[in-house]
Order: sequence, then structure tokens, then C-alpha cells
Amino acid sequence: MRPFLPEERLGSLLALLGHWGEVYGPVTTGDGVTAFRPVSDPGQLRLEYRRTLIPPKRFLLPPRETILTYSPDAGYQPLDTAQPALVLFGLHPCDLQGIAYLDRVFLEGVVDTSYRRNRQALTIIGLSCEPDEFCFCGAAGADLPAGCDLFLQRTPAGFFVTAGTMKGEEICDRSAQLFTLRQPAGTTPWHHPLADAICRGCAAGETFPDNPLWDRFAERCLGCGACSACCPTCYCYDVLEQGGLDGQAAERLREWDNCLFKSHGEVAGGVNFRRSRRERLQYRFLHKYYGFGALRGVISCVGCGRCRAVCPVEIDLAALFEGEDHDRQ
Amino acid sequence: MTGSDSSMIPFMAEIVASTPLSADTSLFRLRLDQGIADYLPGQFFQLSVPAGGEFPVSPASAADGGGELEFCVRRVGQVTSHLHSLGPGGRVGLRGPFGNGFPVAEMAGAQILLLAGGLGIAPLRSLLHYILREPERYASVTLMYGAREPAAMLFRDELVALARQERFRLLLTVDFVRDEPVDGRVCTVGLLPALLRGVKVEPAATWAAICGPPPLYACLVAELASLGFADERIFISLERRMKCGVGHCCHCALGQLLCCSDGPVFRYSAIKGITGAI
Repeated sequence: MRPFLPEERLGSLLALLGHWGEVYGPVTTGDGVTAFRPVSDPGQLRLEYRRTLIPPKRFLLPPRETILTYSPDAGYQPLDTAQPALVLFGLHPCDLQGIAYLDRVFLEGVVDTSYRRNRQALTIIGLSCEPDEFCFCGAAGADLPAGCDLFLQRTPAGFFVTAGTMKGEEICDRSAQLFTLRQPAGTTPWHHPLADAICRGCAAGETFPDNPLWDRFAERCLGCGACSACCPTCYCYDVLEQGGLDGQAAERLREWDNCLFKSHGEVAGGVNFRRSRRERLQYRFLHKYYGFGALRGVISCVGCGRCRAVCPVEIDLAALFEGEDHDRQ
Repeated sequence: MTGSDSSMIPFMAEIVASTPLSADTSLFRLRLDQGIADYLPGQFFQLSVPAGGEFPVSPASAADGGGELEFCVRRVGQVTSHLHSLGPGGRVGLRGPFGNGFPVAEMAGAQILLLAGGLGIAPLRSLLHYILREPERYASVTLMYGAREPAAMLFRDELVALARQERFRLLLTVDFVRDEPVDGRVCTVGLLPALLRGVKVEPAATWAAICGPPPLYACLVAELASLGFADERIFISLERRMKCGVGHCCHCALGQLLCCSDGPVFRYSAIKGITGAI
């Protein structure tokens, strides 16, 4: 028997989660986009959503944030403002896996203090999902994906609840009166053939240097960077400095960068280490499927399907693993 | 160095001298507000000009236990222009040191061949100073340095003075000559690979270290290979767009290696098969 939250008590759980911070969940915005936004009423939640346009990485790595301030007297100083606590409700297993990957990048080895501050402000409530034609995560149907405080396995009548952390257990304790006990129906992990093909290809070290898809992709890539902007594990950033008009104080900012942009490999003096779109696409491929630096050998593609869904010219790097006849154009 | 988090938050330093070395390149001597400048030749720092920005640069000096260090900087982009507008007393920030540096312990006891092109002299000057502090630990050191033209040759007088030492051999060359006469006793006209071709070396007893503009690497590596150098005995210091220095921002990958944290000094054998590495 496992704790079960009947669907009609979801509003009570949301109200209770307010103790841990402002609750954000998947909603449809005025312009028709699915996004994590503040929710107070469970009626706003799109529990059947597939994927948000922008992944939850924006709560950990905002598109642009101030990381340091400078003044002539104090030099460079980290921001000492506390990040307001947030509860992210309804993250799917792919996005949870994405956050677990970002945690490895920014919290193992050299700790990124801005990321840590943003991460510590989050309480994460996972939600099971129904994959669509773009998904290939292979993790759907799992009882408790890594990285969430609490995971809700959705059934027609409500949710089986599993705690993943101490904080999750605390939430369970505080909301025990909302739960009933039910015998869980066996869930079958959903497996996508593309996930298998990617695992096999990566295990063999395949980079497909002679695959004609590279040229076809490079020919039609617009360099818009949408695939990277909406990727839950793309974390490249650029560092900028903005001087105040007084010529004294300054702010050090960082903002999302994008390996599909020409400037990404460029250094002062005009040398560009990735001049062609083909080179830039291959850079992205290598990072996603093979990993860089300390995370060499770790696949960071979580199968959320965002890049395949948003690319305006239907470039799908994962198609390399399936053979050239899988190019959708 | 100073503070608890010198890899993420710049610590402050003051420019104590800026010495023009050529029309667009100066040597900046910095004194840290606190602490000792500790680094290996070939490592790099992120140098901040407040309100200007930050750029990666290897010291041109060797750590000497004091709180001062030198950077050789060409005025080539926005931030380096900001730096060049500052004189003595100017305030700058530093993060680092980052990366691996040259494997100085492994290089001891052998002959050292330094191959520098243009601004690539900066990290190799750090290595040269390091070696010449205890020259008896090395069999010999040879520096071959190529500049575009005589006026662009950096540290010429200093290098010529150092070359009076018994164990240090200096060979200078320029790509071309316009008006300035070349002192034929110390400098030839021609490209660095051609200079290398005319020198007798013992590849099995020598470590080669290369730093220069991107097109130089492949030519020099090919020349060293034809002289009989094993790939493992060639060290290459590489430049990339390195924004963070700690392996996070992911601009600087060569294959799956990150220039900032796996390099910037690479054994040629480790990057030989990587497309676009050199």
C-alpha cells in the first residue's frame, strides 16, 4: 500500500506547498505557450502538459543574471541577496534528469555559488507524464526519478506520492491527512527505440563523421539557437560587464550563450575556432551525447524532445543514430 | 591566493608599471593587494578591468614568491583596450590561476626547446624565466622566437641579455623586414619552421614547448615530427574563448577536452586525433 492523493485534494496540497515557497506549475500563458508560472488554483494547472517551451533550467540559470558587483572600495563582491524560495510543481522525469545533470556540472568540483543559491531556493515536485511523438526519454513510468523532493505518479483518480529527499518526507508528514492508502497498479517503464539507438551508438563511440546528414543539416540550419535555448541541459554562458554611468561601479553579468552562434568560438583578433555551421552542429552533438571536461562520457540528452519540436527547419541530431532516412525533411 | 573563492570572485591588484613592448603590446606589472602570486608557467588567469570585462591571459613572468606578476597584453579587443588605457595605479581584478601549466617537474634534466610565435612568447617567457632560475636542473634551453617584423619583436633586449648565459641559446627570426635594419648577429629573416629545420637537436632527450598563433602549430608539429620528435615530447599551449576558467561555460572544448581545465597546455599525443584542435 502506498500514499495516494485523490485528485480533488490537489488544491489542498498546493496550498500546503506554499509553506515551502511560491508554487510554480505548468500553465498555458496568454500567448498559448506552456510555461512554469505561479499557480494558486489547481484549475490553472495543465496536468496533461507534454513539455514547456523553456525548460526549468531558467530557475537555476536565469537567461541573464548579475553574479558580482564591483565598487572601487569593495572590489568584486558576490551578491548577498537571498533567493526567494520557489516550489516547482509538475516537472516531468526528463526535466528532473536535466536538473540532476546541471547539479553535477555546477555543484561537483568547482561550485558555482550563483547556481547553488538558486538551487537551494527550489523545492521540486515531479509528475509522471504521457510521452508524445517527440519524446524518447525512456524514463517515463519510473516510480521515483532522481532529483525531486516529491514525485507524483498520476492515475485517473489521483496521484501515488513518493518522497525522494528529507524535504519530501517532511512534506509528506505535513500533508499526511490528505493521503489515503492504495495498492499501486504496476507501472511499466516506457521505452523508446530511439533511446536504445542512442545508447548503443554512444557506447560504440559513434560520431558519424561521414554521415551525409551533417551536410544537409548544416545547409539548412538557420543558426537561431532555439535547440540550445530550449534544451534542459544546455548551460553555456557568456560573461559580461556593465559599467555604471558614474564610471566607478560595475556589475558582472552572465547570460545564456549558444554554441549555434558564430561568436561562440571566436576570440579577439578575429580567429574563430568554429567557423562553419557544420562545426557548430558537431560541437553541440559532441557535448550532448559525449560530454565535455569533467563530465566526459556522460550523455546529457534527456529525451524531452524540445529541440526536435522547436527546430524551424526540422533538424534532429538524434536522427544520426537512426540513419539518414530518418531526416524529417 | 587571496580570499576563499579566488576561482569565481576576482581579487584586486594594482598596475605598478606598464611598459610598451611594441606599437600595440605592453607589459603590465601587477601587485596583488594581498597574498602571493603562485602559479606555474603556462597556467592562466582571468584578468578583469572593472567596468570593461574580463579576458584570459597567461602570465609572462615566473612566480617568485612575491605578490607581483606580469602580463603581456596586445590591444586587440574591447577589454584589452580598456586595460591599455590604464596606467600605473590602475585597478584590475584577477581570478585564477587556472589550467594545468607546463609539466616542469617532468621537463627537468632534459634539453628544452621553446618555440614561440608572436605573442606566444608570453607564456614561454614565463617558462624560460622559471628554467633560468635554476638552469643547472636542465641540460640546456633553446628559444626560437619568430615575430612578424623587427618592430613587433617583444622582449628582444631582455632575451639577448639572457642569452649570455651558457645554457641558454637564443635564435630570433622575423617574417619580413620593411625599413628597420635587422641585427644579423642575433636575428634572421624567415619563418620559424625554416629556422627549426636548420638546427640540430636530440629529439629523444628534448622536450619541445610551442605557443603561437593558430596557423603556426601544424607547421611546427610537422617539422618536429620530421626531426624525429615523438608526439609525447611536444607540449602545445592553446588559445580558446575561455569565459569562466573552471570548465563550466563550455566555449573552449577541443573534442571532449576543455582548454581551460584540461589544458591549456596539451601533450600533442593527447590532441593529435582531435579535428580542429590545432
